Amino acid sequence: MLFFIETVISGLMAGVMYSLVALGFVLIFKASGIFNFAQGVFALFAGLALYDFISPDGWFYELFGFVLPAWLGIIATMGVMVIVAWLVEFLVLRHLVNQEPIILFMSTIGLAYFLEGLGDTLFGSDVKPLNLGLPSGAWDYLLDTHNLYVEKLEVVAAVVAAVLVTVLAIFFQKTRIGRALRAVADDHQAALSVGISLRTIWVIVWSVSGFVALVAGIMWGSKSGIQFSLSLIALKALPVLILGGFTSVPGAIVGGLIIGVGEKVAEVYAGPFVGGAIENWFAYMLALVFLLVRPQGLFGEKIIERV
Amino acid sequence: MAYERNIGDTLLAVDQISLSFGGVKALSNISFSVNEHEVFAIIGPNGAGKSSMLNCINGFYHPQEGTITFKGKTRRQVRPSEAAREGIARTFQNIALFKGMTTLDNIMTGRNTKMTKGIFWQALRFGPAEKEEMEHRAVVEKVIDFLEIEAIRKTAVGTLPYGLQKRVELGRALAAEPDLLLLDEPMAGMNLEEKQDMCRFILDVNDEFGTTIVLIEHDMGVVMDISDRVVVLDYGKKLAEGTPDQVRTNQTVIDAYLGVAHDDEDE
Amino acid sequence: MGDAKAAGAMADTFPKLLIENARRFGDRPAIREKDLGIWQAWTWQQVHDEIAAMAAGLRQYGFQRGDSLAIVGDNRPQLYWAMTAAQALGGTPVPMYQDAVAEEMQFVLEHAEASFAIVEDQEQTDKLLEVMDRCPKLKEIVYKDTRGMRHYDQPFVRSLDSLMEAGRAFLADNPGWFEAEAAKGKGSDIGIMVYTSGTTGRAKGVMLSFDNLIITAHNGVLWDGLNENDEVMAYLPMAWVGDNIFSYGQSYVAGFCVSCPESSDTVMTDLKEIGPTYFFAPPRIFETILTQVSIRMDDASKFNQWLYKKFMDIALRVGPDILDGRPVSFVDRALYALGELLVYGPLKNELGFSRFRLAYTAGEAIGPDIFDFFRSLGVNIKQLYGSTEASVFICMQKDGDIKPDTVGPPALDVELKIADNGEVLFRSPGVFVAYYKNDEATKSTKTDDGWVMTGDAGFFDADGHLKIIDRAKDVGKLNDGTMFAPKYLENKLKFFPYITEAVAFGHEKDHAAAFINIDLEAVGNWAERRGLAYSGYTDLAMRDEVYDLIAECVDKVNRDLSEDAALSGSQIRRFLILHKLLDADDGELTRTRKVRRNTVAERYGELIDALYSGIDVCPVEASVTFEDGRTGTIKADVKIREAQIFPSQQAQAAE
Repeated sequence: MLFFIETVISGLMAGVMYSLVALGFVLIFKASGIFNFAQGVFALFAGLALYDFISPDGWFYELFGFVLPAWLGIIATMGVMVIVAWLVEFLVLRHLVNQEPIILFMSTIGLAYFLEGLGDTLFGSDVKPLNLGLPSGAWDYLLDTHNLYVEKLEVVAAVVAAVLVTVLAIFFQKTRIGRALRAVADDHQAALSVGISLRTIWVIVWSVSGFVALVAGIMWGSKSGIQFSLSLIALKALPVLILGGFTSVPGAIVGGLIIGVGEKVAEVYAGPFVGGAIENWFAYMLALVFLLVRPQGLFGEKIIERV
Repeated sequence: MAYERNIGDTLLAVDQISLSFGGVKALSNISFSVNEHEVFAIIGPNGAGKSSMLNCINGFYHPQEGTITFKGKTRRQVRPSEAAREGIARTFQNIALFKGMTTLDNIMTGRNTKMTKGIFWQALRFGPAEKEEMEHRAVVEKVIDFLEIEAIRKTAVGTLPYGLQKRVELGRALAAEPDLLLLDEPMAGMNLEEKQDMCRFILDVNDEFGTTIVLIEHDMGVVMDISDRVVVLDYGKKLAEGTPDQVRTNQTVIDAYLGVAHDDEDE
Repeated sequence: MGDAKAAGAMADTFPKLLIENARRFGDRPAIREKDLGIWQAWTWQQVHDEIAAMAAGLRQYGFQRGDSLAIVGDNRPQLYWAMTAAQALGGTPVPMYQDAVAEEMQFVLEHAEASFAIVEDQEQTDKLLEVMDRCPKLKEIVYKDTRGMRHYDQPFVRSLDSLMEAGRAFLADNPGWFEAEAAKGKGSDIGIMVYTSGTTGRAKGVMLSFDNLIITAHNGVLWDGLNENDEVMAYLPMAWVGDNIFSYGQSYVAGFCVSCPESSDTVMTDLKEIGPTYFFAPPRIFETILTQVSIRMDDASKFNQWLYKKFMDIALRVGPDILDGRPVSFVDRALYALGELLVYGPLKNELGFSRFRLAYTAGEAIGPDIFDFFRSLGVNIKQLYGSTEASVFICMQKDGDIKPDTVGPPALDVELKIADNGEVLFRSPGVFVAYYKNDEATKSTKTDDGWVMTGDAGFFDADGHLKIIDRAKDVGKLNDGTMFAPKYLENKLKFFPYITEAVAFGHEKDHAAAFINIDLEAVGNWAERRGLAYSGYTDLAMRDEVYDLIAECVDKVNRDLSEDAALSGSQIRRFLILHKLLDADDGELTRTRKVRRNTVAERYGELIDALYSGIDVCPVEASVTFEDGRTGTIKADVKIREAQIFPSQQAQAAE
C-alpha cells in the first residue's frame, strides 16, 4: 500500500510538470488559435538563459565578470522571454495574419528548431545543473512519520504550479487584459472593433506563456538539469491536451496529473508483464482512446453555434 | 420623426473614397458628411457597398483613394484600434459577440479603450486595477439598465436568442461611450416587436447621450422613420443624399432602388 | 382577542407607524432595491425622511386632504413611499395594476377620482396621457424614471426628483410639519383603496381603513411570530391586496425589510441573493419552480439523478413529519440530515429558499404533490384563505398543523360561519369599510352586523379547519339534501395522474356519479409496463384493467369524502370512462380547458341516464372532429362501474 501511494505521489509530481508545459500551450491556443509546437523549446531556452545569468561558466560572466543572484536572474530571463515574444510577433505572426492554422503550426515548428539551434550555439549542448537553492532531497517529516519518500522539490513544484494557475485564472476571468485575451480568442473582428490591438495581445500572450515556460524550465532543470531532451516534453504535452481539452486551463492541470499518475502506475504494476517501457507510450495510448470517446477532452468546450 | 435636437457641426466627412478588391470596385468616389447628433442612414441594394463603407470608417478596410475626416482629423488609413480610441464604436451585420463570455464581460470589453491600468496590476487584479474595474463596472451597469437586459447579466451570450444578442452587441458598443456609433443592419432578422424595441433604443441613445449614429438598414419604414438624413448607394456609387422625404421622391432612387424594395425586404 | 388590544395600543396609521419605526429601528434597513446591479438599502430613518419630503412635495404641488393618489408601476421603493406620503396628507393611495392597458386604467382613474398620479416611467406616463382627457379630475402626473422624459413639456408632467426637491425645501423651513400632518390622521380613516377585478361586472374599489390593515397585519405578525429580522421580497403587483399586507402593512408593523427586485425578469436571481425568510406565491409559481427543477434534473448526470431520486424518496417519506415535529426514527433523521447536506440544502439555495421560515400560498387549490414536494424539502409552505374584503386573512394554517387540502382554522380575531347553502361568511377587524361609490354592491356583500359573504362554499372538517370546495353558486344538492360540490369532486379526481378530466353529476339526482377521461400518456405508460397492448385511446379506455386502476382512484376519493360529514353523502357511486377525450374542437371544453357542463350533459345524455339506471354497458356513437377537419363517428360499448362506498367516519365516531 505504501509503495502504491509513493508511486501515485511521484506520478502526481511528474504530472505537475506536464501540466506546466501544457498550460503554456493552452494559453496561446486560447488566445490565438495557434498550436505552439515551440512551447517545449521555450522551456528549454528559458532554462538555458537563466542558467547563463546565474552561473560562472556562462556568457554573462564572461562579458561582465559577475553573475546575477537567482531572483534577479529570473527577472532578467523573463525580460528575455518578453523580447522573444515580441520578436515572434514582429518577425513571424504579423506576416501570417489570416493564414490557415496549419501554416501557423508549421511556422512554430520552424521556430522550435530555430530556437533549439540558437540555444545550442549560444549555450552549448551539455547538461547543465540548475541550482537555485530550491530545497532538495526527501521530506523528512513524511519519511519519519509515515515512511513515505517524497521529494521536497516536487512539493515545491506542486505549490508553485497551484499558485500560478490561480493567478492565471484570476487574470483571465477578472481583468481587462484577461477579457481582451478571451475576446481575441473568440472573434478577431469584434475584438478589433472595441479597440483591442491584436499585436499587443499577442505579445502579452506569448510573454505569459514564456513566463509559464520559464517556471517549467526551472522545475525540470532543478530536478534533472537543463538538457535538450526538455524540448521533447512538448510531445508529452500533446496527449495531456487531448485529455484535458485544448482550451481549458483546468483541463491542462487535470490532464497532466492523470497522465503523470497513469503512466507511473502502469509502468510499476503492468510493466513487468509486457516487458516494461510502458511510460514511453502509455500517454499516447490514453490520448487515442480519448479521441475516440470524447474528442473535445474532459474540459473542452462544446462549440455552441446558433444560426 | 425624432424630436427637435441641436444638430451640430460636421463630425464625420467622407471625401472621394474609392475602394477596390483585386480590381473589383466596391466603392467609387463616395463623399458625404454626417453632422453631430444626427441619425444618418446608408441605404442601397445588396452589394451596393454599404458595409464596405462602414468598414472604411472604422478602419477594417483601407480605401485606396480619398480621405475620412473625423472630429477634425483627416486621414486615409486608420487602424481599427485607433478608430475605437478616437470614439467610433460599431455593431455587425452578423452579430460578432464573444460567444463564450457572459453579457457582462462582453459589455465590459467595450470599456477596453477607457481602461489604462498596466498589466502588472492587472496580473494580480490588485490596487489601481481593482478600483478601475469597479468604476467601469458602474458604467456597464448603466448600459445594462438602459437596454433592460438585467436578467441575462451572467448568461453566456452564445446561448441567448438572436434578438437579445443584437441588444448585447449594441450594449458593448454603447459601453465605449462613442461619439459615433456605426450600426450595420441593427434590425436584420428581428420580429416586429424586437424591431420596435431596437428603434426605441436607437432613438433613446441618440436623444439621451447625443450620440451621432450612422446606420445601414433594409427596412425602409424604419429608415424613413428614424433618420435625419439618408445617403443612397448603388453598385459602389452614390445615387442621392438628403432628408428621407427628398430621397423618397428622387427619381433616380426610385428607379434604382425603391422600385425594387419589395423584392429586397426579406433579405 | 387580547392581541387586538395590543394592536390598538400602537400607532393607528401608517404615517404614525413610520415615525415610530424611525425611532425604534432607525438604523435598520426598511427597504432595498437592486439598482444598477447593486442592492441599495434605505434605513427606516432615511425612509422617513424621503416620505416626509415626498409628502411636502405633493402638498407643494397642490395635493389636498381627501384627494386620491394613483400609483402605477413595478414594486419600487419610491412607489411604496408614495402610499405613506399620500396617507400622511389625509389622501387615499390607489395602487393600480401596472400591466393594465390604458382603457382599463381610465376606468379606475375616473372611478377613484384620482387627482394625482405617481408613476414609474415613460411607459406608464404615456398610458395616462392617452386617457387623461377622459379623466377630468386627474391634474398632475409625477414620474420616477427620467429616461425618455426630456421632451415631455406638458406643465402637469413632472419628475419625482423635482417634487422631492420642492418638498425638501419646504421641510427645511417647516420642521415638524410632517409629524403635525401625520397626527391629523386616525385609524378609522381610509388607508388604501384597491380595485378587485371580480368575475362579473366592473371592478369595485374596496376601501380599507388603517384599522382594517394595521390590525390584520398585526394579527398575522402575531400568528407567525414575525419580527424586524425577517426579509420579504416584494414582487407581486402593488395593486393586489396581498402585497399591501405582506410587503407594506406587515413591514410597517413588524419593522422588517422589504426588497424590490431589479426587474420582473430577475426575480429568481434576486430571490437567491436576498434569501427571504417570509414569502408569498400563488400555487402556479410553486408549480413552475417544481417543473423547472424537474427539467434541470432531467439534464443532470446519471449519478446526480440517482442521488436526487434516492433522497427525494426519503424526503417525501419523512420530510413533512420532521417539519411538523412528529416523531421520526433516528435512522430516518440521519438519512434526512445527509440528504439536507447533499440534495435539499443545495437545491433550496439554488431556488433562494434557504432562509424561508414560512411561505404562504393562496388563491386556488395547490396540487398535493407540489405542496408535499416543498414541505418534504423542509420548506414551510402553508395555505391561507383570504380576500380583499377581509384585508387578506380569513383562515391560515398553523405551524405544525398542516393539511394539504384545507386552508386552516380561522385567523386571529376572525369569526366564521357557514350559511345554509354552504357559503362561507366571515366577520373580522379586517372587514372592508365599503365599496367606493357602490352602495348596492356593498349591501349585497356585507350585512349590517358586519358579516361578509365570500361567494365560496366550504365546511369545517373535524379539526376545525376550513375546506373550500367550490364557488357557492356552483354547489348543488342531491335529492336527499346532501351538499354536492362538483368541482371539488372533479379536482380530487384530477389530482391523480391517470385522470386528465372528470365531470361529476349529482345535482337533483339520487347520488353522485362521474365521467372520467384517462390521461393517455400516464395510463399508456402504465399499460406498457404491464405488457398491455392497446390501439388507441378508446381501446385503452375500455379495458377492464384500466377500469380497475381508475376504480382504485375513485375509491380513494370516496374514502377521503367519507372523512367529512358534510361531503360523505356525495361519494361517487357509479362512474364510467368516456370513450373519447373531451375536446375543445368539439365544443366540450372551453379554450382554457374548462368543461362545458351543459354541452357535455346534452351530448352524452344517454350515458348520464345509464349512470342512474341499473345497466352495466351502454352502446354509444360519438361524433369527433379529426385534426384535418373531417368529422367521423366512434362506436363503443361504454361500461359503467360501481365504486366502493365508505361509511361516514364522523357518523361512526358518534355512534
